[in-house]
Amino acid sequence: MTAVLVIEDDDRIRLALLLALEEEGYRAYGVATAEEGLQRQRADPADNVLVDLMLPGMDGFEYIRQLRRDDDVPIVVVSARDDTHDIVAALEAGADDYVVKPVAIKELSARLRALRRRGRVGTTPVSNHIIGELEVSPDAGEVRRAGQVVPVTRTEFRLLCELAEHVGRVLSRRQLLQRVWGYDTGDERLVDVHVGRLRQKIEDDPANPRHLVTLRGLGYKLQR
Amino acid sequence: MKRLGLRARVTAAFAVGALLLAASMALFSYDLTRHSLLEERERTAVRAAYFDAAVVRTGLDTEDPDVVEVLRSLDTGTGRRPLLHRDGQWHSRSAEIDGSPIPAELQRVVRSGEAAVQRIMVAGQPTLLVGVPVSDTTSYYELTSLREVARTLQVVALTLTAVAIMTAGSGAALGWYATRHSVRPLTAVADAAERIAAGDYTTRLDAATDPDLTRLSTSFNRMVDELVERIDRDRRFAADVSHELRSPLQTLAAAASVLTRRREHHDERTATAARLVAEEISRFQRLVDDLIELARTEQPAQRELVDVVTLARETCRARGLPDGLVRAGPGPATEWRVDRRRFEQILLNLLDNATRYGGGAVAVRLCLRPPDTGVLEVDDDGPGVPAADREVIFDRFVRGRAAHARANSDGTGLGLALVAQHAAAHGGRAGVTERPEGGARFRVELPGVLP
Repeated sequence: MTAVLVIEDDDRIRLALLLALEEEGYRAYGVATAEEGLQRQRADPADNVLVDLMLPGMDGFEYIRQLRRDDDVPIVVVSARDDTHDIVAALEAGADDYVVKPVAIKELSARLRALRRRGRVGTTPVSNHIIGELEVSPDAGEVRRAGQVVPVTRTEFRLLCELAEHVGRVLSRRQLLQRVWGYDTGDERLVDVHVGRLRQKIEDDPANPRHLVTLRGLGYKLQR
Repeated sequence: MKRLGLRARVTAAFAVGALLLAASMALFSYDLTRHSLLEERERTAVRAAYFDAAVVRTGLDTEDPDVVEVLRSLDTGTGRRPLLHRDGQWHSRSAEIDGSPIPAELQRVVRSGEAAVQRIMVAGQPTLLVGVPVSDTTSYYELTSLREVARTLQVVALTLTAVAIMTAGSGAALGWYATRHSVRPLTAVADAAERIAAGDYTTRLDAATDPDLTRLSTSFNRMVDELVERIDRDRRFAADVSHELRSPLQTLAAAASVLTRRREHHDERTATAARLVAEEISRFQRLVDDLIELARTEQPAQRELVDVVTLARETCRARGLPDGLVRAGPGPATEWRVDRRRFEQILLNLLDNATRYGGGAVAVRLCLRPPDTGVLEVDDDGPGVPAADREVIFDRFVRGRAAHARANSDGTGLGLALVAQHAAAHGGRAGVTERPEGGARFRVELPGVLP
């Protein structure tokens, strides 16, 4: 059974979310603070984390940053705030996705499913992709740069695999959103921020990318 | 009658004032000049006439004098013409002048032994007539032409009139110039007000330019500040309310999903109630989303290069519509500089509107109108929009008139208002007309889409 940790300080929202998630077939449990959330995740790792941004004490941004140091669990932000700054900051901190309250449980469930799917490695063996000094191994779930393993989250990994499979070809933000996150419509900032995070990890000069390039008005392309 | 503007009135007052002043000065000068000129002339003429009369008297003192010869001996130059009345007979140097122009009254005075002066007209010329008694039966007259004086006065009068007119003109020009300066702050205020009305809330008057106008600029700026603050407050309020609604809505949405999940465990009445709750929560949710979007649309468009045809196709697919609906107009440019999110929402809302009230969209057209206006059209096959409603349907909370649409609408009544606001954020507009084959045609024009 898929375990979901819900970090939400509003008791009623937390209770309702837990009820609804359990109804959808998850093993859901909740805590009210980010500090408890960190302890709980260490003691009993969940498959997904849902976190609110505005929390007493440590806020959601800091929670994501701290959790990301040693955990690549898919993190979904569930917040009433839809300010671009908050969204980008949360994604840059390491969140995989964000939804604005109120989110329908069906949609939330679909997003969690999509995140889990890409977390799993495919069944048929796929050859490694070599891009310059970068090596992407879909089977091993590993990215190496000059032989060194680069720590990437599962979402970043899926994004990189998707681009590597179509190396030299442009993928629109919409296509990436569909293939990596499984959304027909959605916020394309998700793609932009994740591309930015990937560049930090795989490019020598993230401000002037050599491999993961932007084609204005079209999308992104991975090139050798 | 239309009232004259402040500037025109001030200018007219300046002109009239200057004209009155100049005219009275001119009249006074003319009168003074005329008097002194005429007096001078008169004095000279009278002195000369006395002298000539003395000469004549001496000349006539001889036995059987030749009157004409005596008159001819006078040194009168060309300006004066002597005339002698002696024993009821007129004598002059030539036959052409006789005593006819001499007024009888003057003749009587002179005959009575007194000298007299009068201005008369002789053959259409102003002439000064001096009569001097020579003896009981003889009177000496001298006609002095005043033509020179009259001409001089004419020139003076003309000059003074010209000066008066010029002075009035200068007065008008001065008035126009002076009011331009005094009206300039008003022009600045008008310009600023226009810019503010057009949505540029950063416009302020420069209070430092003129100490006399500091009060105007300060109070104007304070008014704008308060206005902007109020607009901000309203917008923040709408946004805050919507945000505050989001958290409880999350509880409701999650709880309702549990009810929906367990509908087979409920009896029919409970299940119906649960379904109503769930449906209304989702409508409530859309309403809150649209309200937040509406509060946000005041911000300017974040333009970037977007392949609008591809985006339109994807948007149609996202709504379960065939992407063959999308047709690109003539011209190769399908990359427009638009706000991607807003453009997508414009199309989504128009598609939803067509589905809700127009039986579904039948065509989505994208074309360019020179020089650089991007035009998006969405056609439907429905009843169309009555001409009277074509403006108001873009207002907030106005829904389609069709009874079935109103009764069962799950729309928020904000979709088209958002379309209009997104268009306005691009400096464009949204409108609706008739589709030639029947139905409605919604058109959104976005200027400045070419890079």
